[in-house]
Amino acid sequence: MSVGSASFDHAGKPDGVLNADALRADARRQALGLLALVSPGLFLVFAVIIVPIGWLFWLSLFDETGQLSFANYARFFEQASYIKTFVTTFKVAFVVTGASVLFGYPLAYMLSQLPRRAASICLIFVILPFWTSVLVRTYAWLVILQRKGLINNWLIDLGVIGQPLPLANNFTGVVIGMTHIMLPFLVLPLYASMKTIDVDCLRAGMNLGASPAATFRQIFFPLSLPGLASGVVIVFVLCLGFFVTPALMGGGKVIMWAMRMEQATSLYSNWGAGAALGVVLLAVTLALLGLFQRLLGARATGVWSRR
Amino acid sequence: MLLSLAPSALPIGIHGIEKRFGAVSILSDLSLDVAAGEFLTLLGPSGSGKTTLLMILAGFVRANAGSIKVGGEEIITMPPHQRNIGMVFQNYALFPHMNVFHNVAFPLKQRRVSAADTRERVEKALDLVRLQGLGERRVDQLSGGQRQRVALARAIVFEPRIVLMDEPLSALDKGLREHMQIELRNLHRRLGMTTVYVTHDQREAITMSDRIAVMNAGRIEQIDQPEALYARPKTKFVAGFIGESNFIPVECRNGSVWHEDRKLRMSDPIPAVGRHLMVVRPEKLRLVADGEQAGVLNMLPATVGDVIYQGDSFICYATLRDGRQVTLRDYCRSDVLARLPAPGEPITLGIDAQDVVLVADQ
Amino acid sequence: MTKRLCIYGLAVAGLLASVAVPASAADTITVASWGGTYQDAETKAFFDPTAKELGITIKQDTTNGLDDVRLQVTGNAVKWDITELGADECARGSKEGLFEKLDYSVIDKSGINPKLVHDDWVGISYTSVVLIYRTDVFGDKGPKTWADFWDVEKFPGRRALSGSQATETLSVAALAKGLPIDKVYPVDIDGALQSVDKVKGHIDAWWTSGAQAMQLVKDGEVDMASIWNGRAGTLKKEGAPVSFSFDQGVLTADCMVIPKGSKNKDLAMKALAKFVSPDLQANLPLYVDNGPANEKAFETGKIPQERIKDINSSPGNVKKQVLQDPEFWRDTLVEATEKFNNLIQQ
Repeated sequence: MSVGSASFDHAGKPDGVLNADALRADARRQALGLLALVSPGLFLVFAVIIVPIGWLFWLSLFDETGQLSFANYARFFEQASYIKTFVTTFKVAFVVTGASVLFGYPLAYMLSQLPRRAASICLIFVILPFWTSVLVRTYAWLVILQRKGLINNWLIDLGVIGQPLPLANNFTGVVIGMTHIMLPFLVLPLYASMKTIDVDCLRAGMNLGASPAATFRQIFFPLSLPGLASGVVIVFVLCLGFFVTPALMGGGKVIMWAMRMEQATSLYSNWGAGAALGVVLLAVTLALLGLFQRLLGARATGVWSRR
Repeated sequence: MLLSLAPSALPIGIHGIEKRFGAVSILSDLSLDVAAGEFLTLLGPSGSGKTTLLMILAGFVRANAGSIKVGGEEIITMPPHQRNIGMVFQNYALFPHMNVFHNVAFPLKQRRVSAADTRERVEKALDLVRLQGLGERRVDQLSGGQRQRVALARAIVFEPRIVLMDEPLSALDKGLREHMQIELRNLHRRLGMTTVYVTHDQREAITMSDRIAVMNAGRIEQIDQPEALYARPKTKFVAGFIGESNFIPVECRNGSVWHEDRKLRMSDPIPAVGRHLMVVRPEKLRLVADGEQAGVLNMLPATVGDVIYQGDSFICYATLRDGRQVTLRDYCRSDVLARLPAPGEPITLGIDAQDVVLVADQ
Repeated sequence: MTKRLCIYGLAVAGLLASVAVPASAADTITVASWGGTYQDAETKAFFDPTAKELGITIKQDTTNGLDDVRLQVTGNAVKWDITELGADECARGSKEGLFEKLDYSVIDKSGINPKLVHDDWVGISYTSVVLIYRTDVFGDKGPKTWADFWDVEKFPGRRALSGSQATETLSVAALAKGLPIDKVYPVDIDGALQSVDKVKGHIDAWWTSGAQAMQLVKDGEVDMASIWNGRAGTLKKEGAPVSFSFDQGVLTADCMVIPKGSKNKDLAMKALAKFVSPDLQANLPLYVDNGPANEKAFETGKIPQERIKDINSSPGNVKKQVLQDPEFWRDTLVEATEKFNNLIQQ
């Protein structure tokens, strides 16, 4: 648009400043042009992210009588149940993230080693659950895991156990259900990063005397870490705000932060009660992201940046 | 002793290697002996099987049949990490998460070498490839040439019995490549390890090798020293792949060699009766001045098509009587320049009897 | 370029504005309820006959409860002319001033329990919290009272109570202490919490929705539970091996309100008057187990005699049950719920 439109009028100007003004103006025009290009995006971010979050924060500062107060935040410290919810939320997030890594890493590794065709077929099976509602999948798990569900019935029929295992309506159930839902969020970035690992690096490792296990430990695993880190961050953050699965699978005994938000909006007449919970979750999430970035470097939070 | 010289080098005996991918045969009954301390190059176009052979040597590809003996020990079923073979990869395959020191120290770490020894040997290896003091650099802070040297240092630091190199210079620009060729050659002379080098660049092969094995379609066409390979190619493929060649059809009959109605002299024994191709390198063709005595020269009349001046030399494209195009190259000496022919001019081309090489016309 | 963007912007804004203008006609009102089979029943019992009689159109929507109304009223975007709520929500919303005053010269309140008749809200139907148990586990010797439910030695088995309806569970807990049904209110909250504390360790699930309570009992995940009578009735109809009665049930009312700022307030008033009239109220038990709020419905003769004993708000059944007091919970709900949540989470 404005590239190359500098004029060549240099009459009477000393050499050093030949067209300097025109070139500077041209640069400014170009910068403005770029700004114009991103402005719809900026506007959208402002309108649907900055404004509502600001409003949320503002609301959280008012109590039921509409007075400016810290009551909504003080509640978290006065009532043990909020602290407990907070601890539960983190416990669930940690365990689910751990379980996702435990199951997801070998899965992603297998996918990355399969021939292209087989890998893409297997990937479909990883992604397929994405297209099914979380609610449906959670109910399916309930059918499978409950006291008279598939697993317990089979195990009892096979004589493996005498009493049904407590798999649903408790912490275990929440972890199983959530791990299933979170798995693709871990596997996909991990798989993508594993695919970028140079086969020759692994060959070099073996060539230089490292056994397959040592090659995996010293070369493949460290090189897959950026992908693993982004997967872990995504899963952990998603877990912190999860609602449906703990609500259905927890049997009312595993109360997570998002469930408290829902309770707070119906229990209290002011939005501030729920808003304060949201603000806290947001702040904690941001702090965590900052911490991850500190620990793992920018690679972890900027997804798939290596290479 | 650290990075010792020739005595530790071992010979390689490769026999009857077969490799098929499904129905496609990549290598068929391939045999090759590499002497201890020799620098042998596998040269061939892509798809000729040279990289596959190298991968089989390193243990990354499993052959369908055959034997590889290193110093008499069979290694064909040995896993790669036990083969004790150093390898330099085409894209260097440096470990991006380790610095230069740890890259080079990697093979020593696998061999449980003590920390002090490791430091000493890594430093020595870095010295050898002239990367002193760069141990703490990250791999992505290095230039292409430096990465190449790190890869080399890593491949030799553990004093392997054999070093394999898979087109190690192909990613470098021309000037650096030529420089590294000489450096690699010198390093080999100093360390004396048995080296198998893969390239598709015939000039590189000629510059560096003790011997060159020219590969085509999964077979070795000819294996020889560079000079012999260039001067006496045994097949049309070798002649065409190494250097430039003019192919002039000839016929053997009655114990003589004929090009059309001209009898040609040659110093090699005259082959069997039948059609052959005479291989003539452009620089072996001469412009014969008017009235010059034939002597041992074979004379071929031709017509000049075009003359291209290249500074130090010129190229003359000429057409023989039978309509075949030939290329002549000569240096721009002033006596030659003085009588450069013009396009369309009739000329006489001379070939020394010593330079006449015949190959089968496939 | 900028100028053109502006024009596009205006065009889009114009388009949105034209869509956003509600297509309101004076003879149309919107009613929101809980959805599902209950709202289907209300449609047949109340909405369709009213629409026909008044010659208006009744549009329907579903609600999540008081926070939806609060959002509409405080956000100045009232979509509904009438909405159903739980009685304690009505009491709290009334305190917050979210509803229009009702005109009892239009609405005939006779026959409705005075506890459910207020300036700005009126009872519409009843739900009962009852004790259900599985007969394949206990035969007919299951827990009959809440004291039985609390007695984990005499009645071993898996148990579920409501975790989302603190008011109901606290009422039940008060009954479990042995209080007679007329002494439950005003609930001694701390006493009830102590009672919950006693059984807490034996509760395998705290349900948060009617569907969940039903699923827990149906799949045998628990052997006994507190459950809404509608869900209990459905289970029995489906042939599940369960037994329940209205003895020691907790009778909770639903109510209807006109959200403040309703654009068709007068018409809504007339429609609401029809909904609570004995004639239409008598229709409700024909379709669901939720009983009518107006006891005159039982005098219309529309309800078959053999059906009356299964209806939770029939005069005979009402005597066996505790009536939840919405006014009481209006002032104590937040504190009691927080304490209750605190307790069951430990």
